[in-house]
Amino acid sequence: STVLNSAVQVQCYCTCAVSCYLHLVRCSVTIKIALFHRSSLLLRPLGVQQKDQDRPYQLTARIHGSPSLYSGSGSKAASLHWTGERVVSVMLLALGPAAYYIPGPAIDYSLAAAITLHSHWGIGQVLTDYIHGESKIKVANACLFLLSTVTFAGLCYFNHNDVGICKAVALLWSK
Amino acid sequence: MALFLRSLTRQGTCLSRSQFGVLYRHAVPMGTTAKEEMNKFWAKNNKLNRPMSPHVTVYKWSVPMMMSISHRGTGLGLSAGVSAFALLALVLPGSYPYYLDLIHSQSFGPALIGLAKFGIAFPLSYHTFNGIRHLCWDSGKGFKIPEVYGSGYTVIVLTVLTTIAAVAYKGAA
Repeated sequence: STVLNSAVQVQCYCTCAVSCYLHLVRCSVTIKIALFHRSSLLLRPLGVQQKDQDRPYQLTARIHGSPSLYSGSGSKAASLHWTGERVVSVMLLALGPAAYYIPGPAIDYSLAAAITLHSHWGIGQVLTDYIHGESKIKVANACLFLLSTVTFAGLCYFNHNDVGICKAVALLWSK
Repeated sequence: MALFLRSLTRQGTCLSRSQFGVLYRHAVPMGTTAKEEMNKFWAKNNKLNRPMSPHVTVYKWSVPMMMSISHRGTGLGLSAGVSAFALLALVLPGSYPYYLDLIHSQSFGPALIGLAKFGIAFPLSYHTFNGIRHLCWDSGKGFKIPEVYGSGYTVIVLTVLTTIAAVAYKGAA
């Protein structure tokens, strides 16, 4: 049978369909379904019992698959992006104590990269939530890209030509 | 045409799953993406000039809600700070130690330094601790309502303690 190795990202969004202004519950729940040939299917069908029928029937969730960029396979772009965001977050967590115990150029540049990327992706999510309309989205993301580039350049410049991020924090805390 | 092909390939994958006895065939593959659907929603409602339903102005605020938007707020604030710092680094002629000493030597200097320490420590510690809370959610844990509130209060307490410790701490140069 055909390839089923792609992870299909499914988004079920609540019927209010408004992007989440209320930060109480994530209205769009992203369920990652890995479809592998012969392995157990992770999707649990919704079981519905109806008393007036002889046997129960099952409803499956209305699945809204991610777009196929290539015929037959799905795009993992969104899923990989999500994972990448978490990986960078964890790395940033590790860089904190690292900056305290082993300050130096390696940590300085790693911090510059991790902070800029984490910020870039984070602001990207904010833009996605609040900005609507094709051209507005494009402009906003272009501005963000510019800002992140300048930020990274500035931090690297600071690391190279000045005391560096770790030393700068240490100096501020010594006053 | 693309729609037709897409629904065909989806049906293809669907049918091959029938061996698992799951009524996957009942799932209706949609021809649009989530993004397209959302854009359609906004285009339609903007075109009809519909006003936005009241939401944050009418819904009762809760601790998780406030913590969530604060997570976003501190993130944006920290990003703004980092970008401002990077821009200044590129634009200003002097070195960092020079400007730090310059500020410190002013009459309001030490107060400003203390404010800077607070301004960094508070949002950074809140965003970090709440970020860990988010990562726990991402791993699937802690969604029960008492857990949400419990972890939330823990984050707040840790933030306050960390900020106090950070502002009070004075290291060697």
